[in-house]
Amino acid sequence: MKRLRILLASLATLVAAVQLHAAKEVNLFGWSEYVPQAVLDKFTAETGIKVNYETYASNEEMLSKLLGGAAQYDLIQPTDYVIEALRAKGKLEVIDFKNVPNFKNIAKEYTNLPHDPEQKYSVPYMVGTVGIVINTEKIKEPIAGLNDVFSGKYKGRIVTLNDNRELLTWAMRTLDLDINKVTPEAIAKSRPILSKWLPQIKLYDSDSPKTALLNGDVDIGIVWSGEAAILFQENKKFAYVLPKEGAHLWIDSLAIPKGAPHKAAAEQFINFILRPEISALISEAFPYTNPNTEARKLLTPEQLANPASYPGAAKLETFRDIGKAAASVDKLITDLKGGS
Amino acid sequence: MTAIADPHITSAGKRQPGTTGWLLLSPMLLWLGLFVVAPTAILFVYSFCQRDELGQVVFEFTWENYARIADPVYLNILLRSIWYAGLTTAICLVVGYPVAYYIGRAPAQRRSWLLLLVMIPFWISFLLRTYAWISLLKAEGPVSALLQWAHLIATPLEILYTPTAVMIGLVYTYLPFMILPIFTSAEKLDNSLIEASLDLGAGPWRTLSNIIIPLTKPGIFAGVLLVFVPSIGMFAVTDLMGGARVPMIGNVIQNQFGQARDWPFGAALGITFLVLFVIAFWFLHERGEERR
Amino acid sequence: MNSATIVPKNDKTEMSDPLSQLEWPFHSQSKPPLPAANKAPISMETMVELRGVTKRFGSMTAVDAVDLQIRKGEFLTLLGPSGCGKTTLLRMLAGFEIPTSGEILLEGKDVSGVPPYRRNVNQVFQSYAIFPHLSVADNIAFGLKMRHVPRAERERRVEEALDLVSLKGFGKRKPHELSGGQRQRVAFARALVCQPKVLLLDEPFSALDAKLRHAMQLEVKHLQRQLGITFVFVTHDQEEALIMSDRIAVINHGKIDQLGDATDIYHAPASAFTANFIGEANLLPSEVIHKNGVSAQVRLAEGLELNVRTSAIKEGSVQALLSVRPEKIYITKNKPMKENAFKAVIEEEVFRGAMDELRLRVAGKLELMAMVANESAHERAWHKGDIVYCAIHTDDVVVVEQK
Repeated sequence: MKRLRILLASLATLVAAVQLHAAKEVNLFGWSEYVPQAVLDKFTAETGIKVNYETYASNEEMLSKLLGGAAQYDLIQPTDYVIEALRAKGKLEVIDFKNVPNFKNIAKEYTNLPHDPEQKYSVPYMVGTVGIVINTEKIKEPIAGLNDVFSGKYKGRIVTLNDNRELLTWAMRTLDLDINKVTPEAIAKSRPILSKWLPQIKLYDSDSPKTALLNGDVDIGIVWSGEAAILFQENKKFAYVLPKEGAHLWIDSLAIPKGAPHKAAAEQFINFILRPEISALISEAFPYTNPNTEARKLLTPEQLANPASYPGAAKLETFRDIGKAAASVDKLITDLKGGS
Repeated sequence: MTAIADPHITSAGKRQPGTTGWLLLSPMLLWLGLFVVAPTAILFVYSFCQRDELGQVVFEFTWENYARIADPVYLNILLRSIWYAGLTTAICLVVGYPVAYYIGRAPAQRRSWLLLLVMIPFWISFLLRTYAWISLLKAEGPVSALLQWAHLIATPLEILYTPTAVMIGLVYTYLPFMILPIFTSAEKLDNSLIEASLDLGAGPWRTLSNIIIPLTKPGIFAGVLLVFVPSIGMFAVTDLMGGARVPMIGNVIQNQFGQARDWPFGAALGITFLVLFVIAFWFLHERGEERR
Repeated sequence: MNSATIVPKNDKTEMSDPLSQLEWPFHSQSKPPLPAANKAPISMETMVELRGVTKRFGSMTAVDAVDLQIRKGEFLTLLGPSGCGKTTLLRMLAGFEIPTSGEILLEGKDVSGVPPYRRNVNQVFQSYAIFPHLSVADNIAFGLKMRHVPRAERERRVEEALDLVSLKGFGKRKPHELSGGQRQRVAFARALVCQPKVLLLDEPFSALDAKLRHAMQLEVKHLQRQLGITFVFVTHDQEEALIMSDRIAVINHGKIDQLGDATDIYHAPASAFTANFIGEANLLPSEVIHKNGVSAQVRLAEGLELNVRTSAIKEGSVQALLSVRPEKIYITKNKPMKENAFKAVIEEEVFRGAMDELRLRVAGKLELMAMVANESAHERAWHKGDIVYCAIHTDDVVVVEQK
């Protein structure tokens, strides 16, 4: 009898321990190489909450795992247009901003954007652009816009993202079309421009376009600002400009998926990330554009001088989800590439 | 694979397995069921479905995915993929056959060393090896420097991110898959058959075409399959060494499951590709059987 | 050793000895002799000549300065133990190996460096080497096709060849549908259809069972007689060599130990090696003690004295190695009135099918092996432990070495 009591008592302790443990963790499903380990360690040290950091390499990978429902995530790091789609499908929790007082640090220009107009579901993490990186040792003429890149002079010296939507968007910008209205007419109008442009491109690479630039295989790139920022860190000869026709602004945010088991811990984590000194720590590791005004004040002049991280003013627009029009874009680019 | 490589498939091989046989086969059947049949069935179902804005599969019947494949854009890519894979296979055969034959006929000691050399690349990650090729072939790379130093080319080498680079990458990747099965056939080739042919008045070339090639046909057939099939669906080499400029069917399919988030269309492409391949295999195999 | 299978080739025979007539219970010939009508005369013309042919593999000398003349239409056997160089010799004749030195002449022309496909010589391989992907007819037609023989003639000759090897109607079969014996016939047909000047045979019967092998041996022998083609045959089976050959070249350590017809080789071995390798022999070292008239006396190591023919002992020889065939030792119950007769004890009797092997001990020292015709189970003459007499005819004592 006594033995049984001891057994029951230890079982109860075990259950309590498991419950306690359950409350003390948060499951973060984020981009690979985006959250420094030091930040996670600091959070755990301060709050006692363990962070389970699982990573993905693309929004699409994140979506299929999230929607597959195999794992329970508390925090995800989707890009703007993905937030829009997830929100529309009711897949996100409304964030309780009472628990996120540090949200005040985020610059206004990055809030209430079309993908989350009421700013209820997401908190910007890092932002960036898609712009033109130029090896100024090889390219002496000024490059200001997309038409300069594709003037024909730099045929075979260009790397661009391997992204069908981006390619179409660039053509649409030179036509002054609304980049988020991908209609059959817009595609038809863009087609002749792209058919002139694509043969000039030496390679398409979304994963590491900086490699070809560093190797000297190409001299101009239309790439993520993060890649350009790393290039600038490597060598100051790599200049970065936003195309005068307008540039794609992307915003990676933190969001809480519907039914997250540790919503409170997730909000605690978001608030922690928004602290100026923590946010500055992230910028130090990854030179994207920091949307946190207070954190920017802590950055070194050198960090702020990186033109890819903090480019000059330009017309910036985020992508909206284009739904099934993506199939037409896929066909257009596949066809044009095949013809080259 | 051993069945393909065996030139003496007899009626005995067509016998039904008994209880013990089924039992012995069960791990393989289970594996096939779980990892081949089930995924293929899922793909088959998906290929007739639609997708929503998030790219989630919606189980509403449609022919649309197959209708899209019929578009000349995708048909052209399929044809180009077949052409690239065919060229890769042909180059691998021409380059790999003499190597495989030489290794197969070499003394046992040297044979195992040579085989080892063929296998060594497998010990290194495929991506690493591909990046090594990129470093070798880049404009400011060693190959370019060497050729310029030797005055064989005047300007830096412009081979990376071209179809030629894709071909180099494909041949490099799949050459061992051609060499190994042909080696197995060549190793089994009885030397007295070659001597008999020479003895009966056939010179080296006629011995090659009349005796050696027909007798190593099982190896050639296996090698052609092992090279052609994966190279037709290859996407990593076209992306990395070809700069994603020339899409192959593998890239298109990969894109549907990735960026485009259009699984039903990707599934339809995959199923079409599978059906085409099964038909081609069946056709080749039947012809091979007839000739036998 | 079954001496009944030796085909007698000439009239000169040791069997005329009255003693043997008396004591030897002769078997009837179990196999018919070759029909004389089929015998194509062997010409004295030379078909192949080897002049000082040597082949080395690294430091190993496989064939050592061999001189040999092979006559047109003869059946010559290269006989020797494995590794003696006989196969290398054959491969040089075929063109698969090039001599390190020396010359090989085919009808007077040096062909030493000529590749196999330019020599009018064909081979029947030990493994038959039938092309598995070709039908029987295509296998046989292969050589003709390579020589650009027109289709109609090719088909006719293939049919003839099939007929020759009794495989009519088998042309469409695939090799894997044939038995071992049938495959071998295909191998013969495939080589013979090319009408080679010389047919080389590399142990072609080694894979056959004993009965089939013997039938094939006779059949091939007939075939050779009928066609008159020069055959060079390699074997390690001395019985096969004796059955089939016109002449046998006994090869040892890359050299020809003895060259001669079957009876010469058997009855008059020129060396201890040949005596021992062909059939069985009692090899007896001896000392020459006396020499006069027709017979000479030698003393064996064990002290026994033996009469041999004086003509066999060279002038000045003091030591001689003698060879006595087991079947030439005659066993009697009573002391024969003969020379070279000794009292002996049967130490062992070994049943060997057609023959019984008796292990004898003479004068408590000398061991001899004798062969007698086997005995019926119910009426045995010889038993272990019997005291008997053994006699050896002077002519049957062969001096194989002396100095």
